[in-house]
Amino acid sequence: MPRYAMVIDLQSCVGCGSCSISCRSENNVPDGIYWSNKITETSGTFPNVRYHYIPTLCNHCDNAPCVRGCPTGAMHKLDNGITMHDPKKCIGCKYCEFNCPYGVIYFNWRKPHPFWQQKTQLLQGGTFTPVELTEKAGGKTIPYYNPEREDTLAGIRPKGVVEKCTFCDHRINKGLLPRCVEACPADARIFGDISDPDSEVSKLLGKFRPFRLREQLGTDPHIFYIRDFNPAHYQPTKGGV
Amino acid sequence: MKQSSSLYPVWLGLIGLAILAGLFAAFRIFTQGHYLFNANDVLMWSLPLGVYIYLALTSTGLTLLASLPLVFGVKKLEPIAKRLVFLAITTLVGGFVAIGLELGNIFHMFYILLSPNLSSPIWWMGFIYSVELVVLAAKFWRLHRGDWHSLLSRMLGHISFVAAIVAPLMIGSVFGLTESRVTYFGPVMSIYCLLMAILSGTALCLFYHLLISRINGSHVTEDHESIFDDISQIFTYTLAVVLIFTLVKIVIESATVVPDFLNYRQYAQAFGGIGRLNTEVILGLILPLILMVIPGIRTGISSRMVASALVLAGTLAMHMEILLAGQSRPIGPKAEQYPDYISYFPSMYEWLVMLLAIAVALLLYTMGERYLDLKATPEH
Repeated sequence: MPRYAMVIDLQSCVGCGSCSISCRSENNVPDGIYWSNKITETSGTFPNVRYHYIPTLCNHCDNAPCVRGCPTGAMHKLDNGITMHDPKKCIGCKYCEFNCPYGVIYFNWRKPHPFWQQKTQLLQGGTFTPVELTEKAGGKTIPYYNPEREDTLAGIRPKGVVEKCTFCDHRINKGLLPRCVEACPADARIFGDISDPDSEVSKLLGKFRPFRLREQLGTDPHIFYIRDFNPAHYQPTKGGV
Repeated sequence: MKQSSSLYPVWLGLIGLAILAGLFAAFRIFTQGHYLFNANDVLMWSLPLGVYIYLALTSTGLTLLASLPLVFGVKKLEPIAKRLVFLAITTLVGGFVAIGLELGNIFHMFYILLSPNLSSPIWWMGFIYSVELVVLAAKFWRLHRGDWHSLLSRMLGHISFVAAIVAPLMIGSVFGLTESRVTYFGPVMSIYCLLMAILSGTALCLFYHLLISRINGSHVTEDHESIFDDISQIFTYTLAVVLIFTLVKIVIESATVVPDFLNYRQYAQAFGGIGRLNTEVILGLILPLILMVIPGIRTGISSRMVASALVLAGTLAMHMEILLAGQSRPIGPKAEQYPDYISYFPSMYEWLVMLLAIAVALLLYTMGERYLDLKATPEH
């Protein structure tokens, strides 16, 4: 059985957000919820400043605190290492969200996609209502609905339950890469089986010194970051007093 | 409240109104979603959960007090034993109302039985409190039938005592097992919850009995006077222990420079305070303790009622303070969508959930006083 992991090459990543946008479309993610996200940080004091950009997603930890704490087993591990959620079993206690060290689990506070459930026209007689537009586009709740998401999970998760990245398990089952990996224009995301020494991810982890987020907690996250991007140059100097 | 009192129907009417308002809120929450709460993906547990913790722990405290006569054979306290068991049941029912409305999908609760996760402190918390409710109800049924000392009755008392010791430890573990939130991590929260349970349970016991005797206008017999003195003493010592524990906690939190604690400290005074002492610690622990140790004041019914009422309000505030301060800052990428610090004030719906939980408990108290002969003792 493979153990899936992802390597993110920070030197290749340009921070375009394509991963996040493609993820939203692929997984019918509602507004306010981010399966694929980022941590941005500005360091230094003006004018000597730098901008850091770290793409984030569920770390699919081996020792996942969300899985350990879920009272019903709604949050569970698959044999291939993916941390999966079953909304049918979720009681909405939000303990996984409370427990996640990475801030990647979100709760459906309301019925998802409220905009697309509106039945009012922007211009009377001039535009479709959001509901009509969805119908015309052949969508379900949203016009850009992806029915393939239903293969392994509710296409759109109901209110009152949590949701998060699943490594696009529905695509992996078909031999496809996760959508964010496929959509990355810079090939900054490399996906594969970490238990296979010949996989691309294993080779990269052997070649570079990776870091993982909040590694000290012992969660054994499976998102690895390599090659921190820094193109800056400086004049060789010994400083001064 | 006496049945014959003209205020009795007014009291029932007020409780009825509160329950109707709460049911309206419950309907809206179930149909519209929990966005009606002023909670979000950073501060996800708010007033309803704080009320649950408070009521569940108070119920635990009442159960532990009831164990003195029912498990440890302190005969002197037998006249209040049946009422304590009843109060523990009704307070816990109030707590279940609050947690029921906090959960996103209560209709999936049967999966707690169908696919239990034994590594989850939430599962254990739910399981033990459910066991406690059932066992307390069974114990009350035995007491109501006049069976105080049969093997079954005693066994039920022992089980409820053990459940009451473990349950607050489990509530504490829910927080204590979150490695990602250093300010909660460790066994401190479990010990704190157990102490707070004894404190708020004793405070409710004292306040309720004094209130009942005042409302009924009945003369307090020497026996009851002596019982209240004993309960007051337990109350005073528990207050002192919780205060010492709280001060040690404040000192440790103030001494460390671990970033999580620095952040926590920055936001750990939602109700204001003097120096490092929060308002709820001053008004909910220090002031009542002063009232209960001054010889000329501590024996007065009014001062005991004020002290216990202050503790009842203070312990709820302390639970809320800890709950909110540990969730005030976004974790990881959530800082991209949320401000550095989340401010919070409960929404109308959250207040109504609290009102419903308390009103249900009050209705049950009232009905119990009227129909269930809560003063019964083994001699009857």
